[in-house]
Amino acid sequence: MSDARLRRVNKEIADCKNDKSSKIVIELIDNSPYHLRGSFTGPEGTPYEGGHYEVDIVIPESYPFQPVKMKFITKVYHPNVSSASGAICLDILKDAWSPVLTLKSTLISLQSLLCSPEPNDPQDAEVAKHYMTSRSSFEETARYWAQAYAGAPGGGVKGGAKGGERDEIAIAGLEKAHVDQFEALGFERGKVIDVLRRLNYRGENVTKISEDKVVQELLKN
Amino acid sequence: MTSTPLPEEQPPAPRLNATQLPDVDVPQPSGNAPLVVDENTDLSTLTPAQLYELNQRTLDESTRSSSDLPLIAAVAPIRVLREEYDGAPAFVRQIDFLATKGYHGIRRTRGDGDCFYRSLAFAYIERIMSTPDPALEATIAISTLDAAVPLLETVGFDKFAYEDFYEELLGLLRRVGSGAPDQLSPETLLSAFQAPEVSTAIVVFLRLLTSAQIRCDPDAFDAFLFHPDFGNQMTARDFCESFVEPTGKEADHVQMTALARALKVNAKVAYLDGHDPNGAVDFVSFESALDPSTPPVVLLYRPGHYDILDTRSLEAIQL
Repeated sequence: MSDARLRRVNKEIADCKNDKSSKIVIELIDNSPYHLRGSFTGPEGTPYEGGHYEVDIVIPESYPFQPVKMKFITKVYHPNVSSASGAICLDILKDAWSPVLTLKSTLISLQSLLCSPEPNDPQDAEVAKHYMTSRSSFEETARYWAQAYAGAPGGGVKGGAKGGERDEIAIAGLEKAHVDQFEALGFERGKVIDVLRRLNYRGENVTKISEDKVVQELLKN
Repeated sequence: MTSTPLPEEQPPAPRLNATQLPDVDVPQPSGNAPLVVDENTDLSTLTPAQLYELNQRTLDESTRSSSDLPLIAAVAPIRVLREEYDGAPAFVRQIDFLATKGYHGIRRTRGDGDCFYRSLAFAYIERIMSTPDPALEATIAISTLDAAVPLLETVGFDKFAYEDFYEELLGLLRRVGSGAPDQLSPETLLSAFQAPEVSTAIVVFLRLLTSAQIRCDPDAFDAFLFHPDFGNQMTARDFCESFVEPTGKEADHVQMTALARALKVNAKVAYLDGHDPNGAVDFVSFESALDPSTPPVVLLYRPGHYDILDTRSLEAIQL
């Protein structure tokens, strides 16, 4: 079987090299054909537009009968991607996998996942809540992450260039005025950001969550 | 050749093929007390739901508890099945009915959700081997497949992603008939189907062929593509991507019809469900062979599982 696996993977890599139209790239990470790096650009018309997204690919031993393992290397702000680990929630990477799917078609599915989040089947619950609470604020944050981590064009966000200083308030998807408000009460900035992010202090939640509630949370631990 | 373990995925919960059930308006048992059936139970007092549960339980015991069950087993006398239904006369009567129709043997397959495709593939090749001119039949089968395979590309599958699976099936068909290199015998056919790499590749290929058949013939299939759990109508692509192409997804009427057409085979499925008071068994036929008189391959269906029925004589099976 391992011969069949190697043959198949080699065909897939060759297929990707020959196909210039899909703009999907697959490269070896460490000279093993079973550990690869895939990359694609963020889809147009989404907050991810212009970003360069890299995906860690591990080919399991019984590939293609078992699904390929993929996770984002590039940090992505998306309900179906863990903002911490890059883990992905997508059916074809689990029980909807079919051996006729390929590395390329799976990467294209990841690209489409960026176009159409499924907040009801989230990988990152906090991001999903943000998405459900305020779409515009979510998109702003996702765009900021694209600029900060995926090299999407700056768009005037201060410190947005890759490698530049990142605005931790924008990373957390919060508003500076809200953070300032509680920082002024004497709480440490990092803690304020952490609590407001966990409380999903965005959109209409800002009026729903009382100041006392926030202070209570800030006083914990 | 290294043998790599394939995913030991638990089969999905068995589903009842609703179209095969009689119309019933028997009151359901109240409460959820577990069903206790022993030799004193009169099965005629059981509701269809209880019969179903009994069948499922016996099925679970006979196909799933034994993880060492091969992907597909040697033929066993049908009395082995009969013994498992000891105390369930409604099923025993049906098994006896099958025996009187000449089905003296059963070839079991592992209950992994691929059992329909695996059973059909095995029985299909075995049937070709039992014809008067196996080499000719195999050549016809290969040309039928060669003519169907372009459909796979038509529906968008990458050739490089399915050609290895197709090659496994062709490899076996080319070994059919005297004079073929490394001629296939009943024993080598069985061991090929017990080897996960060959067996699963063939299952995958048949799934893709089924999918292509469904997607390329909307007039025949689109009206029947419903979500098996929610009942909503689905597009051919969604249906196939969800319920045909992934391994482990059980086949229902649509998939069976499509695959019989793609392979141009006659198939019959015997429904063992304990429903008929006289113990008769319903057969559903899928007739797609070029020559309508071609003897069908015959599968045994119990909700959620398929095995192969065998018509050779009892003496031949017990040897």
